[in-house]
Amino acid sequence: MKYAIEVSGLTKTFGATTAVQHLSLRVKKGSIFGLLGHNGAGKSTTIDCILGTQKPSQGAIKILGMDPSKDRKQLFQNVGVQFQESAFQKGLKVKEICEITHSLYKNPLDWKEKLEMFGLSHRLKVKVSELSGGERQKLCILLAMMGQPDVIFLDELTTGLDPLARREVWSTLQNLKDLGVTIFLTSHFMDEVENLCDEILVLKNGQTLISGTVPEVIAYSGGKNMDDAFIKLIEGEFE
Amino acid sequence: MNTFWLLYKAEIKLSFREMSSVIFGLILPAGLMALMGLFANNNEELNLSFAAIATIGLCATGLMSLPLSLSSYREQKVLKRYKVTPISPMNLLFAHVSYCFSLSIFSMTMVYAVARFGFGMTLIGSPWKFTAGYLLVMVAIHSVGLMIASLSPSEKTTGAISSALYFPMFLLSGATIPFEIMPNFLQAIVKVLPLTHGIELLKGISLDQLSNLTFSISLLALTTMIGLFISIKFFKWE
Repeated sequence: MKYAIEVSGLTKTFGATTAVQHLSLRVKKGSIFGLLGHNGAGKSTTIDCILGTQKPSQGAIKILGMDPSKDRKQLFQNVGVQFQESAFQKGLKVKEICEITHSLYKNPLDWKEKLEMFGLSHRLKVKVSELSGGERQKLCILLAMMGQPDVIFLDELTTGLDPLARREVWSTLQNLKDLGVTIFLTSHFMDEVENLCDEILVLKNGQTLISGTVPEVIAYSGGKNMDDAFIKLIEGEFE
Repeated sequence: MNTFWLLYKAEIKLSFREMSSVIFGLILPAGLMALMGLFANNNEELNLSFAAIATIGLCATGLMSLPLSLSSYREQKVLKRYKVTPISPMNLLFAHVSYCFSLSIFSMTMVYAVARFGFGMTLIGSPWKFTAGYLLVMVAIHSVGLMIASLSPSEKTTGAISSALYFPMFLLSGATIPFEIMPNFLQAIVKVLPLTHGIELLKGISLDQLSNLTFSISLLALTTMIGLFISIKFFKWE
């Protein structure tokens, strides 16, 4: 099995509106895949459908060869997820959410060591809601890594992080990739995408504009770099 | 099991951090029992006060804490987050319900202790029957709370519905103002509230007057069934 994630012909409609239309993608094991698009392009809906938290209207989805809606118990032992909104019970402290998340997995990592690495050790007894944006984001990534997953989903990876914290996150992801973990991310930062992603897919209003490696997409768009390419693609000079 | 225990402990800690369940579910009933104890003229009156006040804790958790927490967990996507882990969000729901039951029972025990050791009350009826009756009322009221959480579209709406149910039940069903002194039209309204029948049942058991309780028991059982049925049918994780 060469691919960690396989999506074919995914369509999701809400009443009369089509959020995602006929999306197909394949993510090679051990690679980093970026899903790009403007706000409201359908990125979150796509992630929801892939993870089985929303039922696709059409299409077939496999993660690690499993159906995410049927084999979820087994699948999510090996798949870690960080959603855009950090969703925790109000008032919960860092230590408590770490302990709870740690207890969910058969083969969890040493979270105290990771917390130390992320520079969050001194925040153990602080409520999650009182962390700074960057700290919370790092915590969410740590929680997504907790089960030592083979595949990790990160929605809006470094939104709200300062440049230093972003570099930290990047190197964490590179380390994960070196360990053979497959990473699926969405991001609004094109430098990040250029730096990290092996392959990307650009969505506009639920439609796939193009997919391929970063150089391929840049060449196709005629842009100078990924930032330029993204703007050219989304502004629709290619229709 | 370990996860459940951690979630259960977290729910208890969260409620003590937030305090409203502690105030409405523990301090208020214990204080009220102390007050009513001062006014009681005899053991029979103490028994009646105890039976009514013992239900305040289960209302605080069943009508306030349970629907409010579940609505908030849904709105904050906490339940959704558990859907992408190896466990089901059902675990969090069970943990919260377990916390609610624990606090209810603790509250009832505390009210009993105030009545027993503060004012020398002796329960006239069977303590086992009282406990069984109490559990039935507790389950019935919590299934009403679950139903609110299932039907309410948002945390704000849940807050409004919860208050609209909790305070009238608290004031009118005989837990604070005795049913007997209310005007007729108020009695008519109050008669349809499930808590009224819960208190009726517990008063009957505490005085060992067990006739005429069938209707209250049936109504509580029916409330439970309807509440659970609607919850199962309409509850959404997101």
